[in-house]
Amino acid sequence: MRRALRDRGFLFGAVAALLMVLVAATAPLLAAAAGQDYTTYHDNLLDSARGGVPLGRFGGISGDHWLGVEPGTGRDLFARVVYGAQVSLGVAIGATILEVLIGLLVGTAAGLGGRWADTILTRLVDLVLALPILVLAISLLAIVPPDWPRPLLLATVIAVLGWGGTARITRGETLTLRTRDYVAAARLSGAGWFRVARREILPGLTAPVLTYAALLLPTNMVVEAGLSFLGVGVRPPTPSWGQMLSSATTWFRADPMYVFIPGGLLFLTLLSFVLVANGLRRALDPRQSEVLR
Amino acid sequence: MRRALTLVLPGLLLLAACDGGGGSSGNGSSTAFDPATCQGGTLTVLNQGGITHLDPARLYTSGGGNIPSLLFRTLTTRNRQAGEAGAKPAPDLATDLGTASDGAKTWTYRLRDDVFFEDGTPITSADVKYGIERSFAPELPGGAPYLRDWLQDAASYQGPYKQPEGIKAIETPDDKTIIFKLSKPEGDFPFLATATQFAPVPKAKDKGVGYEAHPVSSGPYQVESYEPKKSLILVRNTHWTTKSDPLRYACPDRIEVTAGLDGAVINQRLTSGAGQDANAVTTDAVVGPEQLAQLGNGGPLDKQVARGEFPATYYLAFNTKKAPFDNQKVREALSYAINRTSVVNALGGSTVAGSSTTFLPPQKALGYQPYDPFPAGDTGDPAKAKAVLAEAGVTNLTIELAHANDDNDGYGPKVAAAVQEAFKQAGVTVKLTAIDSATYRDVTGKPATEPAASLQYWGADWPSGGPFLIPIFDGRQIITAGGNFNLAQYNDPEFNAEIDAINALTDQSTAQARWGALDTKIGKLALVIPLAHEKDVFLFGKNVKNAVPDGWRGTYDLSRVSVK
Repeated sequence: MRRALRDRGFLFGAVAALLMVLVAATAPLLAAAAGQDYTTYHDNLLDSARGGVPLGRFGGISGDHWLGVEPGTGRDLFARVVYGAQVSLGVAIGATILEVLIGLLVGTAAGLGGRWADTILTRLVDLVLALPILVLAISLLAIVPPDWPRPLLLATVIAVLGWGGTARITRGETLTLRTRDYVAAARLSGAGWFRVARREILPGLTAPVLTYAALLLPTNMVVEAGLSFLGVGVRPPTPSWGQMLSSATTWFRADPMYVFIPGGLLFLTLLSFVLVANGLRRALDPRQSEVLR
Repeated sequence: MRRALTLVLPGLLLLAACDGGGGSSGNGSSTAFDPATCQGGTLTVLNQGGITHLDPARLYTSGGGNIPSLLFRTLTTRNRQAGEAGAKPAPDLATDLGTASDGAKTWTYRLRDDVFFEDGTPITSADVKYGIERSFAPELPGGAPYLRDWLQDAASYQGPYKQPEGIKAIETPDDKTIIFKLSKPEGDFPFLATATQFAPVPKAKDKGVGYEAHPVSSGPYQVESYEPKKSLILVRNTHWTTKSDPLRYACPDRIEVTAGLDGAVINQRLTSGAGQDANAVTTDAVVGPEQLAQLGNGGPLDKQVARGEFPATYYLAFNTKKAPFDNQKVREALSYAINRTSVVNALGGSTVAGSSTTFLPPQKALGYQPYDPFPAGDTGDPAKAKAVLAEAGVTNLTIELAHANDDNDGYGPKVAAAVQEAFKQAGVTVKLTAIDSATYRDVTGKPATEPAASLQYWGADWPSGGPFLIPIFDGRQIITAGGNFNLAQYNDPEFNAEIDAINALTDQSTAQARWGALDTKIGKLALVIPLAHEKDVFLFGKNVKNAVPDGWRGTYDLSRVSVK
């Protein structure tokens, strides 16, 4: 960890990512501090004759509305952005955790199980890796009843279609770890496979899986934003960055701020998570860092 | 430098030509516009919606349509005047608006002598009769349904392919006379006769379903090529003469329609006007926020815009057969709670929509009378709504509201969200149900599947109160099989009797007063919540002249614009 902290990119990324997680976690508090909520319409702040663009400069930024208001509705953008962070980050983190859990389970089972178990599970992983995530997710999300909890559903769908990579990495690592002497020793002393997996293999998997998970998180954010952009994400009036970007497409000349705010935040968040992932990889895998430098 | 020179020279020549011809370069102003010298050039039409059909039997148009009216002449047509004066029919193939007899139950028309098809054969009354009969064929669905209801004993007629004996209620005693016998008095018959179903079709050229590949033209243009949903190219019909048709100026020599484009792209192309786009217009892409931001400040785009009003209402329809909307107090409370400012903004702002408290949109021709039975201001009165609900003993109200899944027709997610937020202020929780826009009207139009509340839009088939109030509130128009628009499922014999009484009137101003009174009366029942009325803002290319919106359709008339 100390090695990672000397890495400036990692440091910047970690601080930004933590800040973003903090913003998402405290969204209701932040919105309350601004004295706003994400559903109230402010029609008096819009220039109705011009199609509903916010009055005033930079998308209607003011002391009351720190990031301006949404064109067409007048809803407070600051409140929508912080609540949107909740959806974007929440779904991405939830999906990543699920993916890691499924991947670890399948990967270690394939690595430690017999030849048949390995063959079947590896083929299954190949199948999952070959699935076109976006297309399948759109069709899955389109058929579920509208009153199911949407963020949970999004996280589950993304995870169910995206655990292949974690499983493959886990299996590969497990295969190398199981030939190590200490594993053989544990086996000879009478430990069962489950105990071996838990006590001997899992600790060795931490570094590669953690690195991979850090890279998965921004990918999942992009998938969530994509799904929301395409209209199968969270249901309005719940905001999400992808959804905001989608509705901003018709406004990008009339009210550029409406595009820049969710777009810029999405970019910054993705960048910070990618920096964190790269820093982790360099720190946890010295060989890799030498190749990179 | 050489390139600049070649660019400048044609520009100068063009200006000189304009001055010589006495034409004006001021776009949209018809002051110096002369229909006699406007001929020439190619007009480009950029549209969102594809032309799915070109058969006059299958087109559902108001006043004969914009593009269809270039090909098809009908017994009567809209008079193509600007503003309020434009909400009237004018004779087209016929010599007058028709002679009513037998208390408006018989309508007699005489055709002009100088009207011909594109192959030079004279148009006869038998051709008009045959065109109408075709529209009854189940093979050719899609036209306006009125004739089946109005003509004597025609309700079960199956079209000339199955029943070649024809409709007895349409008589053609000679080549130029056509007589319609109706089952009840209909003072609005001259309005209905503007529909494309009244276009002549020569029986010898009819190919049934395949006729629309090349419909025989009676108007100023004929089809050169047609690819459904994609493109349509029109060239002059040499057998049409200006003398026989004072309403259509037919200025361009050639008209090229491209369909299936994105609305934002169309408006961007009309704004920049590069190359052929300078001669372009659109008949269906209303301006978006990007262009609205450039309008009204004296910029160049202000000279390229036509503003009109097609009579149409956006409204929230209640199914009064379903709880809680069987309770009039609940409907009244929601009528107080609605925030019309939010709805107007969701529709695109005050330039393209205006708030409405009446079901009839604010056109005199429809009999509009201002009224507001539940006065709450434009932004609503949640406190009053809560009080009405409390009075009715309704607490913790949760309702479901159906809407289309896209915003193209003005009853999509944006308006639904605005309604949801307004009702929330009054303590009412709204659950939104999105229905695929392709099947939206099928779901809401079948009483068995009709949601408890839904967002709707209704435009006038012709500018009169009848086609607005009859399909929506006449109890005899509740169609259980599907295609129902009386969503309140309201059936009051007294109300129906008043409709019949007004239909018998041939004097439009008397009829208007009574339609308005009827609208006021029905408004008190809160069967629907009127939300907003439509305003139309259409752009046109910088070379396009005489793009004046007519009072019937709210948009400029392709038969009158010029690109010379």
